[in-house]
Amino acid sequence: MLVRYVARRFLASLVVVLGVTLITLILMDRTRGTYVPGIDLNPALRPEDIEHLRENLGLDRPFYVWYLTWLGSVLHGDFGHSMIDGSPVLSHILDRLPNTLELTATAIVIGVLVAVPLGVIGALRRGSKTDHALTVTSVAGFAVPQFWMGLMLILIFSVTLEQNGLPWLPSSGAYSAFNGGDFLDRVEHLILPATVLSFFYTSQWSRFIRSSMLEVLSQDYIRTARAKGMSERRVVYLHGLRNALIPLITLIGLELPGLVSGGLVVEVVFGWPGIGKLAFERALQYDYTTVMGVTFFATLLVIAGNLLADLLYGALDPRIRYG
Amino acid sequence: MIGPSRVAELDMPAAGVETAAARPAQSYWNQSWERLRANRLGMAAGVLILVLAVIAVLAPVFSAVLTHYQPQTINLDQTFARPGATHLLGSDELGRDSLTRLIWGARVSLGVAFLTVALALTVGTTVGMVAGYYGGWIDDVLMRLVDTVLAIPAIFLFILMSILFRPNAVTLAAIVASVGWGSVARLVRGEVLSVKQRDFILATRSIGARDSRLMVRHLLPNVLPVLIVAASLGVGQIILIEAALDFLGLGIQPPTPSWGNMLTNAQSYFFHSGFLVAFPGITIFVTVLASNIFGNGVRDAFDPRLKG
Amino acid sequence: MSRDEDHKDDGFAQFEQFLEEWSRRDFLKRTGGAAAYLSFIGGGLAAFLEACAGGTSNNTPTAKKGGHVVEGNFSDIRTLNSMLSSDTASNQVIGLMFDGLLNYKKDGSLVAALAQDLPKTNSDGTVYTFKLRSGLKWSDGQPLTSDDVKFTYQLAYDPQYKDVTSPRRGDLSKYIKSIDTPDPQTVVITTTQVFAPFLSSHGRYGILPKHVLGSLDGKAINTAPFNTAPNVTCGAFKFVKWDKGQQVTMERNDNFWAGPPNLDQWIYKVLPDSVAVTNQLKTGEIDIGPVDPSHFDAVKSADNVAVTEFPVPTFTFYAYQLDAAKKGGKLFSDKAVRQALLFALNRDQVVSAVYFGHGSVANSVEPPISWAYKDKPQVLYSFDKAKAESMLESAGWTKGSDGIRAKNGLKLKFDMITNAGNKQRESMLQVMQQSWKDIGVDATPSLIQFPQLVSQITNIRTFDMFLVGFNFDEDPDQGQLWHSRNTVAGGFNGFDFKNSDVDSLLDQAVGTLDKTKRKQLYGQFQDIMSDVVPAPIILFNHGIWGVSKRVQGADFGPFNQFATRPWNHNVWVTDGK
Repeated sequence: MLVRYVARRFLASLVVVLGVTLITLILMDRTRGTYVPGIDLNPALRPEDIEHLRENLGLDRPFYVWYLTWLGSVLHGDFGHSMIDGSPVLSHILDRLPNTLELTATAIVIGVLVAVPLGVIGALRRGSKTDHALTVTSVAGFAVPQFWMGLMLILIFSVTLEQNGLPWLPSSGAYSAFNGGDFLDRVEHLILPATVLSFFYTSQWSRFIRSSMLEVLSQDYIRTARAKGMSERRVVYLHGLRNALIPLITLIGLELPGLVSGGLVVEVVFGWPGIGKLAFERALQYDYTTVMGVTFFATLLVIAGNLLADLLYGALDPRIRYG
Repeated sequence: MIGPSRVAELDMPAAGVETAAARPAQSYWNQSWERLRANRLGMAAGVLILVLAVIAVLAPVFSAVLTHYQPQTINLDQTFARPGATHLLGSDELGRDSLTRLIWGARVSLGVAFLTVALALTVGTTVGMVAGYYGGWIDDVLMRLVDTVLAIPAIFLFILMSILFRPNAVTLAAIVASVGWGSVARLVRGEVLSVKQRDFILATRSIGARDSRLMVRHLLPNVLPVLIVAASLGVGQIILIEAALDFLGLGIQPPTPSWGNMLTNAQSYFFHSGFLVAFPGITIFVTVLASNIFGNGVRDAFDPRLKG
Repeated sequence: MSRDEDHKDDGFAQFEQFLEEWSRRDFLKRTGGAAAYLSFIGGGLAAFLEACAGGTSNNTPTAKKGGHVVEGNFSDIRTLNSMLSSDTASNQVIGLMFDGLLNYKKDGSLVAALAQDLPKTNSDGTVYTFKLRSGLKWSDGQPLTSDDVKFTYQLAYDPQYKDVTSPRRGDLSKYIKSIDTPDPQTVVITTTQVFAPFLSSHGRYGILPKHVLGSLDGKAINTAPFNTAPNVTCGAFKFVKWDKGQQVTMERNDNFWAGPPNLDQWIYKVLPDSVAVTNQLKTGEIDIGPVDPSHFDAVKSADNVAVTEFPVPTFTFYAYQLDAAKKGGKLFSDKAVRQALLFALNRDQVVSAVYFGHGSVANSVEPPISWAYKDKPQVLYSFDKAKAESMLESAGWTKGSDGIRAKNGLKLKFDMITNAGNKQRESMLQVMQQSWKDIGVDATPSLIQFPQLVSQITNIRTFDMFLVGFNFDEDPDQGQLWHSRNTVAGGFNGFDFKNSDVDSLLDQAVGTLDKTKRKQLYGQFQDIMSDVVPAPIILFNHGIWGVSKRVQGADFGPFNQFATRPWNHNVWVTDGK
C-alpha cells in the first residue's frame, strides 16, 4: 500500500519537475529575440556578433527544441554551461549548494535551541503574563523583514563593535578573504546570517511546542506519574518534554522543501555564496542554463521534502488515510 | 523565509472534534468567540489591523487634512528633515514627507496583503473542498496540481514573474496568491477529510442533500476557523514577502510608496537619517506582529484542546 | 587583544626596523629622536618623512615587502580571458593579472607596459611598430614574445578564430588589416585606415599566452578552463583560485616585467551592495573599495580609511526619442522642446541632492577632464524655468485646462525609463518628473530591469525617453553614441539621432592623428551638440575610492580606477601583513 503510494508520487513528481522547469523556461524566454544573455551595454558589439552569440547559445531555435535538447543532456548528467560566464552549471551548483545547506541547517539548530525553552516555559506558565510575553517575543523576531534585521545586526555586531575595539563579527561571505576558511572562521561568518534565518523557525516552533507540551501534559500517563509521586521536574522533562518533542521531528521535516530557497534574502544581504543568491543573480541576467539547473535541483528537493512531510503527517494524524 | 508555512496544518485541529456531533455548531462558535474576546492582547491586535486598514482606505483624506502633502511631491531643499513641525515624521532623500508616504504606503502594502489573502483563500478553499469532498480521482488530480504549485520554489517564481511582469499592486497580489493557494487547499482538504466521516454529514447526504449545499452550509462553517487563522497570519506574511521582493528590486517600484520599498530605500541612506529606516521598520513590525498575535489568538480560541 | 593594541606594538617594531634601514646618525641629526618617533607612530611612514627636515629631496618611502590587500566590489567576475570579457568586474581582475602593450596614466595619457616605449607610427598613421621590452617572461618562465601579442589580437580579428565570441571583434576586425612579427621583440600592427583612437582604445588588452591557448580552435577557446583558472599570467599577479560568488585570490608574480610586486597577495572580494563596502571599509574587512556618493561622509569619518575623489569620464544622460514615427519622436523632434526641458532642470540641485555634491554639471558632451573639452560651447544651459516656459509657449505648446501643455491636440506627456536598483537614477527620474510638472509637462517615471533596458535601447526602441549612465575611454571620440551608423539594430544610438554635420565631424576627427586639428573638430562638434541636444548629459560623475590607511601606493585617478592601473605592483601595506 505504502509502496504503491510512494511510487505513484514519484511518477507524479517527474511530471512536476518537467512542469516547473518548462514554466521557468517559458517565463525567461519572453525576452527571446531582443536580449542575448551576457551582453551588457556594449556598443562595440555589432548585430552580427550578437547573432553569432545567439546561435552559440542555441537561442535561435524555438524554445521547445531548446528545452528538449536541454532535457536530453540533463538525463546524461550534463547541465550545460552558464550563458554568462561559460562555467559548467553543475560546478556552480555543487560549489554553492553545501553553503546553503550549511546555513539553513545551522539556522534550524539555532531555531530548535531557542524554540524549545520558549515553548516549554510558555506551556508551564500558560495564560500568565510570562506566557504572553514569550508569545510576543517568539513572533517578534520574525515580524521584521529579514533584510532589515540583517542590516541592523551588521551595524551592531559588526561595525559598532569593531569601531569600539570589541570583538566583532564579520558582515559578509562564508569565510575571511585572507587566510580564511578554517572551522572557527567559518563559524564566525555563520553566526549573523544563521541567526537572522533562525527567527523564522523559532517563531513557528515555539508556538507548536507550547501547544504540543500542553497536550502531552494533559494526558493520563502524566497524571499517573504525578500520582505516583514523581517529582514535578521529572514529570515535565522526562515524560512530558520527550513526548512533546516527537512531532518536532515532523516539523523539521516540513522545512525540507524550503531549505534551498528559504535563505535567499539572507544570502543576498550577507553575500552568502549559496544557491539562492546564485539563482537570483542569474535570473536577473537571463542566464537560462544556470537558472534551469538550479530550478531543477530545487524542485527535486522540494518534492522530496513534500513527500517526506506527507508521510510523516500521515503517520502523525491517523484520520488521514492514503489509498 | 518566503513561502507558505505548513505548521499551520499540523497545529490546527479539526474544529470541535469531539463535540460537534453532540452539540449543534452555534454554541461552539459562541464559546470560541467568548474565548477570543477574553484574550485582550489578541483583540487589541485585531483592532489595530482594522484601524490601519481604515487609514489606508482614507489615505487621500489624511493627506489633505493631516499632513497637507502628496506622497510623490519632492522638495530638494528639505531633504532628510528631522521629525518636526514641517514634516511630522521627517522627510526622505528627495524631501518627500515620510508620514504621508507611510499612510499611502499602507494602501499598497495592506492592499496587496488583503487582496492576496482573498485570492488565495477563494481559490484554495474551492479546490480543497472539492478535492476533500469527492475524493477519488478528482482528489488525485487536484492534489497533483497542488503539488506542482507547491513544488515550485516560491521565491524563484516570484523573481521570474517580477522580472517579466512589472508588478503593480494587483499583479503582485496575483503572483503571490498563485503560489499561496496551494497550501490553503491542502489545509482545507485536511479539514474536510476529517469532518467528512462524521455522522451528521453522512446523515445529510443520505437524505439526498445536494453536494454544493452540503459543502457551503455544513462543511464551510467547520472550515472557517482554519481560514480565519490562515488569513490573519497570511496578511503579516505577505507584508514581509512584499518587503523582501522590494529589497530584491522586484516588488512595487518607486516612486509609488509601499512600506517595503520605503524601508529598502532607507537602508542606503542610513548614514544620513536613522528615522528613514526606523519608521517604516516599526510600522511593518507592529502590523506583522499584530497579524501574528491575532491569528494565534483565533487559533487558541477555536482550539478545544486548551480548555479554560 | 583589540586591533588598536596590535597596531601600537607593531608600530614600535616598525620603527626599530626603519631605524635599521636608515643611518641612525642621519635621521637623528635632522630631528629629536622622541619627536621623530611620535610623528612616525602618529602618521605612518609617509607623514613622518614629510615631517622630517625638508632638506632631503626625493626620498621615497621604502615600501615594505609582503602582506595582502583585499579589494571589494559588487559583482563577481565572469571570465578571466581578456579577449572575452565585457563586464567591469572581469576587466578589473584581468587588469591585475594581465598587462597589455600599453596602459593609462592617471590622466589618460598612454604609458608603455609590455612595450618598451610608445610605438612608432609611420607617416600616414596606419602602421604602429611596437618594440617589446627585453627579457619578458610569463609567470611560468616562458618568454613572452611578439607571437603572443599577435595571437591575442587574432582571436578577435582573424577569420581563423571567428568562432571565438569576442566582444572586441566588431572594432578589431574593422580596423586591423594585419599584424606582423618580424622578430620576437617586434610587433607591427597595420590598420585599415587612420583611426586616431586605435592605440588608446585597443592598445591595452591583456596579452594571452599562445603556448597555453594556441593549440585550441575557436570554439574550444570559448570554454577553455584557462578562462576561469588562468594558470599562466603576465601581469603583476598570478591566479591562485576563484571561489565562485565570493572572491578571486591572486598572488605575486615574480616574473613581472617591472619587478615582483611588493604584496604577496591581492584578493578581489565580492560584496552585496554599497552599504557593505562602507561597513567593511570601516571594519577593515576590505582595504580598498569604491564609495557611493551617499556614503562619502560616513567613510570619511572613519579614522582608518582615506577617501580620494576625482572627476571621471563617467556620466549620466537622458535621451529623447527622435524617431518621428514613434510617439516620443512626435514630441521631441522639435528642438525647442528639447532645449526647454533641459532649461527646466535644476541640474546643480540634482548634483547636490542626488549625488551629495560629488559630481559636476555637464556643460558639454565631452568630460571636463578630456583634452578636447570645450568649456563654453555654443549653448549653455543654466536652470531657467521662465525661459523654458516661454520657449514652449513660443513653440506652440500651450497649457490646457488640466495644466498640461499641448500642441495641435498632442499632449506633452511621455514615459521615462531607467533600470531598477540604481538609487541615483531612480531619484533623478523623480526630480525630472517634478521639474517638468512645474512647467506643464507630464512625465511618468518607470523602472525596468537592466537587461530589458538594454533591449529597449539597442533593439525594441519603443521608449519615449530613457536615462542611463555611460563612460568613454580616454579618446574623445564619441561615435558610438552619436554617429548615425549606430542607429541600426544592436547599435547604441537607439534614439535615432542622425545629423550629417556631426557624422562628418566625428569621421574627420578619427581620421587624423593631428591633435590640434582634432581638438578644433571636437570643438565644433561640441558646439553643434549643445545646440541640438539629442541626449542631454546631466552630470559627469566623480570617482570616489576608500583606501585603508595601511595601504600605500594606490594612486587612483580619472583613468586609473578599475581595470587600468599601472601601479598595482607598487602597492604595499604598512603592517606587512
